[in-house]
Amino acid sequence: MSTGLDQLKHIVVLMMENRSFDHMLGSLKAIDSRIDGVTDQLSNPDTTGASVKPQPLAEFQGQLNPDPDHHFPAVDLQIFGGDASPTRAPNMHGFVKSYFSQRRDVEHSQKIMYYFKQSDLPVLSTLALEFALFNRWFASIPGPTICNRAFAHYGTSFGRVDMNPFDIIEPFKSIYTRLINATPKHTAKVYYYDTTSSTMEVVNLLQNQPELFGTYKQFLSDCDKGLLPEYSFVEPNYNDHETDSGEEVASDQHPDHDVQAGELLIAEVYMRIKRNPKMWASTALLVVYDEHGGIYDHVVPPPCTPDKFTALANNTGTGMEFKFDRLGVRVPAILISPWIPKGTVVDRVFDHASIPATITKFFLGDYSPRSPREINADVFIEPNSGAVDPNRNLLSLLTMRNDCPEFGVQD
Amino acid sequence: MNVIPVPKPRQSAMNPDRPVNALLQVQIQHLRNAERNLPLRYRTEIYANAIRTEGEAARYIRAVTEAIHQAHADAAAQRAIPSIRRKRGIEIAAAADKPIRHATAAKTKAAKRQRKT
Repeated sequence: MSTGLDQLKHIVVLMMENRSFDHMLGSLKAIDSRIDGVTDQLSNPDTTGASVKPQPLAEFQGQLNPDPDHHFPAVDLQIFGGDASPTRAPNMHGFVKSYFSQRRDVEHSQKIMYYFKQSDLPVLSTLALEFALFNRWFASIPGPTICNRAFAHYGTSFGRVDMNPFDIIEPFKSIYTRLINATPKHTAKVYYYDTTSSTMEVVNLLQNQPELFGTYKQFLSDCDKGLLPEYSFVEPNYNDHETDSGEEVASDQHPDHDVQAGELLIAEVYMRIKRNPKMWASTALLVVYDEHGGIYDHVVPPPCTPDKFTALANNTGTGMEFKFDRLGVRVPAILISPWIPKGTVVDRVFDHASIPATITKFFLGDYSPRSPREINADVFIEPNSGAVDPNRNLLSLLTMRNDCPEFGVQD
Repeated sequence: MNVIPVPKPRQSAMNPDRPVNALLQVQIQHLRNAERNLPLRYRTEIYANAIRTEGEAARYIRAVTEAIHQAHADAAAQRAIPSIRRKRGIEIAAAADKPIRHATAAKTKAAKRQRKT
């Protein structure tokens, strides 16, 4: 029997910035108990020893200033609560302590525990409840943006846990190079917002393969004309800037950028695909965040298969080497398609290495070489060649849904 | 179907004078690396170390991103020149053929005229 998987021709990934699962979607636990969100039992100690509970007091802007630290040593503190002993166990108790170290203000440090009410985020919350919400999608590294985004492009960060430029180490190739060099040739594009926002993959992709890039305006037009490539990676607007047509507010949701601007972006990407019936029937959209941005989440990141690379003790900033054998903090991730049953909640473990793993397996089948982390990463869309395990296939409906939500901009 | 309203960000959300965050600082650093690899004529005259605000960052990011695209486009055009020359060579050869065909045609016309007379 034919399912939605057989209709799938395009996969779009929209990667936002720096928000944790509990911060954005933790409130949904109250709506659906299968969602592993915020409960009354959760807390973090502050620097006075007082217990700080998560509260639904997150604000769109102006609250997380300074930007919470999310470099490798800070995330280590957030996950392990400051325990550096050889026998330590992760407990997710160091978030308030970590944020305190930036402003030395006890009251302010407690804001790292705040989360959004469901009604604050009509777009993300609705999509999470309507389509497939991942309960266990983690950042690839307990660290910052660049190395985490590298996992989405390459399936590895080539041993980096920081924000410095990195070199691609052979034999591993980006997902885009794999696709466009395949026989038969496949199509792939990175859509940055515009040249004024540009990309976070400057040193390798933009510098060496600028032909891979298009703008967000082009993405919208490609949706309308049915010209999306097989794989699209969409980047939000990373800065406030003026254009010939007016003001562009940063939509990446990176603190202290406005969260509502990001909601509008997510809604527009979704609606633009949905408004073209041909694209809507044949496209799956993954909305995911690159890392937690130093903001509280309660789920302990699990251990994972080590990568081929090791970050040395003097590069991690913790005095300990890192073998890429533990995932980063949990982030929001939602898979959207009219072939997904309403209210799907997925408990399998994923990280950003799952992105090239899924795209590769779906479009290319068996492919080598890939990093150990990518080889062992789970896929969120099953390869449609051969027998498909119905328990793993998220695009499982036999007929397309006609009850999917619509969004409209409110003036 | 009910349309779910999505509020627009407040007017105050836009602030190009906001100090650059750590992510933008890194993006600038990466673009500086990329800029150093460009031929001199494509480099900007913006002093990246002096960038403090998002508005200033935006101007630099745009300038370098466009320069990278331009440098690649120009290099691609340069690479295409030999093939254009080859094409010209074919055109010249084709043009060289034309007089012969014209001559043949001319002969045919002349022959027709002779037949008429």
